[in-house]
Amino acid sequence: MPFSRELPNPGIESRSPALQADSLPSEPPRKPVYPFGRYMLGKGGKRKFDEHEDGLEGKIVSPSDGPSKVSYTLQRQTIFNISLMKLYNHRPLTEPSLQKTVLINNMLRRIQEELKQEGSLRPAFPASAPPAAAADPLGSSSREAPPAFSQPAPAPCELGGAAALEACLTPASLLEDDDPDTFCTSSPAAPARLAPPALLPPEKDSFSSALDEIEELCPTSTSTEAAEADGPKGDSSSGGPGAPQRPEGLQEGGRPEDPKLMDSLPGNFEITASTGFLTDLTLDDILFADIDTSMYDFDPCTSASGTASKMSPVSADDLLKTLAPYSSQPVAPSQPFKMDLTELDHIMEVLVGS
Amino acid sequence: MGEDTDTRKINHSFLRDHSYVTEADIISTVEFNHTGELLATGDKGGRVVIFQREPESKNAPHSQGEYDVYSTFQSHEPEFDYLKSLEIEEKINKIKWLPQQNAAHSLLSTNDKTIKLWKITERDKRPEGYNLKDEEGKLKDLSTVTSLQVPVLKPMDLMVEVSPRRVFANGHTYHINSISVNSDCETYMSADDLRINLWHLAITDRSFNIVDIKPANMEDLTEVITASEFHPHHCNLFVYSSSKGSLRLCDMRAAALCDKHSKLFEEPEDPSNRSFFSEIISSVSDVKFSHSGRYMLTRDYLTVKVWDLNMEARPIETYQVHDYLRSKLCSLYENDCIFDKFECAWNGSDSVIMTGAYNNFFRMFDRNTKRDVTLEASRESSKPRAVLKPRRVCVGGKRRRDDISVDSLDFTKKILHTAWHPAENIIAIAATNNLYIFQDKVNSDMH
Repeated sequence: MPFSRELPNPGIESRSPALQADSLPSEPPRKPVYPFGRYMLGKGGKRKFDEHEDGLEGKIVSPSDGPSKVSYTLQRQTIFNISLMKLYNHRPLTEPSLQKTVLINNMLRRIQEELKQEGSLRPAFPASAPPAAAADPLGSSSREAPPAFSQPAPAPCELGGAAALEACLTPASLLEDDDPDTFCTSSPAAPARLAPPALLPPEKDSFSSALDEIEELCPTSTSTEAAEADGPKGDSSSGGPGAPQRPEGLQEGGRPEDPKLMDSLPGNFEITASTGFLTDLTLDDILFADIDTSMYDFDPCTSASGTASKMSPVSADDLLKTLAPYSSQPVAPSQPFKMDLTELDHIMEVLVGS
Repeated sequence: MGEDTDTRKINHSFLRDHSYVTEADIISTVEFNHTGELLATGDKGGRVVIFQREPESKNAPHSQGEYDVYSTFQSHEPEFDYLKSLEIEEKINKIKWLPQQNAAHSLLSTNDKTIKLWKITERDKRPEGYNLKDEEGKLKDLSTVTSLQVPVLKPMDLMVEVSPRRVFANGHTYHINSISVNSDCETYMSADDLRINLWHLAITDRSFNIVDIKPANMEDLTEVITASEFHPHHCNLFVYSSSKGSLRLCDMRAAALCDKHSKLFEEPEDPSNRSFFSEIISSVSDVKFSHSGRYMLTRDYLTVKVWDLNMEARPIETYQVHDYLRSKLCSLYENDCIFDKFECAWNGSDSVIMTGAYNNFFRMFDRNTKRDVTLEASRESSKPRAVLKPRRVCVGGKRRRDDISVDSLDFTKKILHTAWHPAENIIAIAATNNLYIFQDKVNSDMH
């Protein structure tokens, strides 16, 4: 975990929503042919990469790519995606080459560094969004966002200082991210919800609309608090309701004080999760209904590799928090390869856009 | 130079079916011994095949002896690391011959984790006429022994025996990429991604760690050791290369742990060639001291460089191996080719260097005349005794006959491993599962 904290990468984080957004709809479910590492990213994450690969392959960076900014950022994005693929797509039976892993990691770090620098000067997000995103409604909506969020956000990170508007918009995603571990692992002491939209099941549209309705029934105080806690991942609500405030979320995600915020999240959020929403019976039913399908989706993939099976009922945000403990367990195939886990950790943070 | 070479090919057909190449048949290392009389290859299946040069034949006085199979043995077997739940491949990463001390030959072979010392002995005589044993070695019935006799040695068919003498295990946590026998003939070193160990050839239960670049926190790891070699004459000196393109020369007299290098050889990055892949393509895949010990030869993805031990700031010579790939790095990254580890070799007089490329091409560079040539090792183009034609890869629009365009290069046919006879112009080229041995035409203009 310390590693991911050290690298709260504004550039990457701020742009990840675009990736997530354009990846979610219309991606057919994949067969679990991928090694276990991929699945730890959550299936949404997996789909995202695939789609980008598919979309960009072929037109990748021909030598004729001039110095133009667009082609540069496209190339960077392509390389970034390829790098992520490579890190988690190795044959699981043999130890991956350390040299290769290190070189790929350095590549990722370098791109991150670059994005971070760009991010500090101007919003990196629109520039680095791959053109492939344009085809997608969500992607394009987020691409239109820049004008709004290029204005400095009014200190959205301060807890308790979030706008009311934001508050009533976020709970849906919050709940969605929330439910898997609440119900499946029944661990009320679940850590901060940092789940990426990548985790959301494809059928989330109807789900989120249902949640919207429920949300109206919920006490405002709770939802406000939840929203605040959820602030930095406001971008994660790639579903309908989240769209308007996405830019803010992005901006927040990119802020340097992000790690602090993350640290302060768990306790705060805990209360809202356990007391606010989950006592509501109607909500329970809805959540259950939805979760079942999503977990069904998730299980076969993870249980395919023995080690993952014990994690399968846990949502990816849980994994994010509990990776460090897992790494000490002898069952993890990559356990001696501490690198893998920390990197995964790190990648997840990138995905989550926290 | 190379275009006048006479060609010959030895392939492993005695073992292998050429109609389809199995992974295990892919040759993973090639190494001449110190006299050049023997040539050893290792493959991904853990086998070592040794070739011996036949004495000159009377029928063809001008032809030098050809290399024939001398011995084949299984050096490493696949293993399973139960702690990590990972397979340890049997693939032979490197073979190094020990200087010959007596009638027997010895070599070290290593896979990712374990180094083995093998002794190769010949037997062409056997004792006969024991008093108490019969021909099969069974005890005779004492009642039949009526007289004493002196056993005698009788000639028999040549038998090559290979026996494992030492197994150096458990010295490496990461993958061994190099082994190198010291000029003192008593020690050798083995390098993995993060550490280099020094062993005594006779002692298997302990080794000394002489380089350790493992950071306290693996998250801080940005550089790994890619290759390492002892100086050919000074037993205290060795060099190791890194994935960031640098070479570090270490002196074991300075300290037991040579974490602090004596000299750092590094070329500043050329800003005009800067790209996302700068670091990856600068990663050194092989380093070799010249026979004289004055120079070092390094191979990175696109170039081969000669360094003078007395000049650290930059190489004295840089040769482009396949610069036309510079515009294709993204695809090569995607298909993992960019991580291919090409090796390089010196000729016996340190005047010509050789290294591999794609499409079964290999390159030679004459350091004096600055001429270079691209040759192809393939079953189709090289009949026994045929003369290799130089090949050209055309980059621009103009394409001459027989030129091959960059886009039609076959990236699955790569020549990673090559070796040059220590004294003569005989080269061994490993092209996937085929071993090609080329030699100079008699009276050639190679020099």
